[in-house]
Amino acid sequence: MAPMTYDAIVVGSGISGGWAAKELTEHGLKTIVLEAGRPIDPAVDYVEHVRPWEKRYRGMRNRKQLERYQPVQRHTGACDEYASKFFVNDLDNPYSTPDGKPFYWIRGRQVGGRSIMWGRCVYRWSDLDFEANAREGVGVDWPLRYKDLAPWWSYVEKFVGIQGRKEGLAHLPDGEFMPPWELNAAEARGREILLQKFGGERLITNARLAVITENHLGRQKCHLCGTCYRGCITLSYFSSINATLPAARKTGNLTLRPFSVVHSVIYDPQTRKATGVRVVDGNTKEMFDVNAKVVFLCASALESTRILLNSATAEFPNGLGNTSGELGHNLMDHIMDGGAVGTLPFARDKREVGRRPDAIYVPRFRNVKTKQKDFLRGYGFEGRAFRQGWERGSEMSGFGAQFKRSLIGDLGPWQMDFGGFGEMLPRHENHIEIDRNLVDAWGIPALRINCAYSENEKKMQEDMVVTAVEMLEAMGATDIKPYKEDNPPGLVIHETGTARMGRDPKTSVLNGHNQVWDVPNVFVTDGACMASTANQNPSITYMALTARAVSYAVGQMKRREL
Amino acid sequence: MRRREVVQFLGAALALPFIPRRAETAIKLGEALHRRLADVPFRTLNREQQALVTNIAEMIIPETDTPGATSVRVPEFIDLILTEWASEDERAPFLAGLADIDKRAATLGASRFVDLPTAKKAELLTALDGARDDKTGAGLAFARLKALTVYGYFTSKVVDQDILKTEMFFNGYQGNVPFTPAV
Repeated sequence: MAPMTYDAIVVGSGISGGWAAKELTEHGLKTIVLEAGRPIDPAVDYVEHVRPWEKRYRGMRNRKQLERYQPVQRHTGACDEYASKFFVNDLDNPYSTPDGKPFYWIRGRQVGGRSIMWGRCVYRWSDLDFEANAREGVGVDWPLRYKDLAPWWSYVEKFVGIQGRKEGLAHLPDGEFMPPWELNAAEARGREILLQKFGGERLITNARLAVITENHLGRQKCHLCGTCYRGCITLSYFSSINATLPAARKTGNLTLRPFSVVHSVIYDPQTRKATGVRVVDGNTKEMFDVNAKVVFLCASALESTRILLNSATAEFPNGLGNTSGELGHNLMDHIMDGGAVGTLPFARDKREVGRRPDAIYVPRFRNVKTKQKDFLRGYGFEGRAFRQGWERGSEMSGFGAQFKRSLIGDLGPWQMDFGGFGEMLPRHENHIEIDRNLVDAWGIPALRINCAYSENEKKMQEDMVVTAVEMLEAMGATDIKPYKEDNPPGLVIHETGTARMGRDPKTSVLNGHNQVWDVPNVFVTDGACMASTANQNPSITYMALTARAVSYAVGQMKRREL
Repeated sequence: MRRREVVQFLGAALALPFIPRRAETAIKLGEALHRRLADVPFRTLNREQQALVTNIAEMIIPETDTPGATSVRVPEFIDLILTEWASEDERAPFLAGLADIDKRAATLGASRFVDLPTAKKAELLTALDGARDDKTGAGLAFARLKALTVYGYFTSKVVDQDILKTEMFFNGYQGNVPFTPAV
């Protein structure tokens, strides 16, 4: 068939693709969004209010089906009996890893991508993060500083709708916040105690969340059902489906094409630009081309890089835009599963009404003012104080009428959980490449992922356990249970890097505006672009970078530089 | 608790004339009941195991002024999990553990747990409750049975809707609401 022609192509409709679509269409560009997966209809697909008794295994997961079709995806908690449909079928979407070096690649292929199931935590970076690579001689220097991105964070935050508490921390800058949910009685008491005992260095603050507490741009404030990862019929948390794609549609400039698996970027050696992309129809498996003046790759970090690796030409034998040799390299995730949980001695006479999806955050305190001997960078804690209610019954001793009454009428003591999320350093040897012996269900060459945590991350994880226990002890907690799990990278689902930004085309794939050095009308604005990960949850940064890159691209197009 | 509505619901669902009020009654009903429930076939637990599981589940969460484990079909849920969800590595030790419970009953003067007098049953369950960390045998079976009973009970429609009265819509979050346990 004859190629379809648009002003702009966006590959992927997740967090980054949704923003690219909104910004490009609002700038008047006729834009096609190519989404590999199926369409999502909130009225049918959102399942946040489905109760356990409506599911065959009461929410205990369809274990055998997961083992068979989603042996990788099942490792993440959200891939459960309600929401497993939002995660890929691993049989259709294979990848390989070396023996003994697993990587859990958790993916969502549908309109909205992983913005449907994301964790909704949004934290800005500071120059402590942007300058770290240069200061320590790790990886390459970011071509950005806080002042470059701050206005774009503000821009996206105002649209996203974010609740948060201003703390005035230099290393975790405040954003554009709407009022947060209050801390519960136990968290509030914990905050007071930590302020006293750690002089503000270890701080319990309200989680900063892309979940609105006031009606916002046609979306209703959160009704606190507590299970955001399954969808939200009131559109209260931010996702592409709930916010950016409807905004893009309103312009009249959007074409959204589901079941469009992008194979590669088409490069014209005469003009040294991309002419468009090659697509495999997800249903018919027919191949077709889409042409455009500019291409935004927002397919998720590893998928965007996979497309570039699969776009090799005579001029770029190792992948399009890979003059530097860094394409596919410097893969990162975060490190988690270090922390502790304990029983708090206070607030037994208080309960909560409403179920917050997320509760508290402890901003990074390592390598901020003082220097750690055994690791670089730092970590923050996500957590909450909670009462188990009836769920404590399986571990509580007793049985019979009194046991039953207690499970129905009491809630158990407050427990506090601190779970660390730490930075992973960029390392050249952590890389992805095309596996020449493996294709996906659409015949597209698949990835081989080579990635492992280093000693720096492992030391950091050990420290998470120590400091979480210290905070619980400071609160007078009893029955403190430290935990540390040795999970493969990928499981935090913050995979980033593989097409890093930089200041020098010899050592980076993208310039400071997410533009491929070698092919100026191709932009990569998802997690692939990251030169480091900091310890903050990354999505809001992808959003800001995407909006900034679109603004830059549109300026270049107006000046006829693209 | 709107007891009458619950009774009506369960009556319709189970085609039962009434809800058993006590564990003993429930067990006496057991075999006759299961013969009548041809549409709810147990696929893993045999008749003796059904009676044992039902008896213990009802002792963990008995019928009081609110329904017990049997009324909300916890034994059927346990059978479903054993049949479709558990692996053979989990199922076999559980079933062996059930057999062990009957063996323990033999030391207390009855060939099967269900034939023990109430006080002896409670005595044995108290001992098993203290042995929930055991990796095999009666302690393991009781630990699993207890976890599944609690889970199956509280995730049942009746308990979720009529006893816990789970709500989905809140007008804002409150984290500091006075609370007195009702126990």
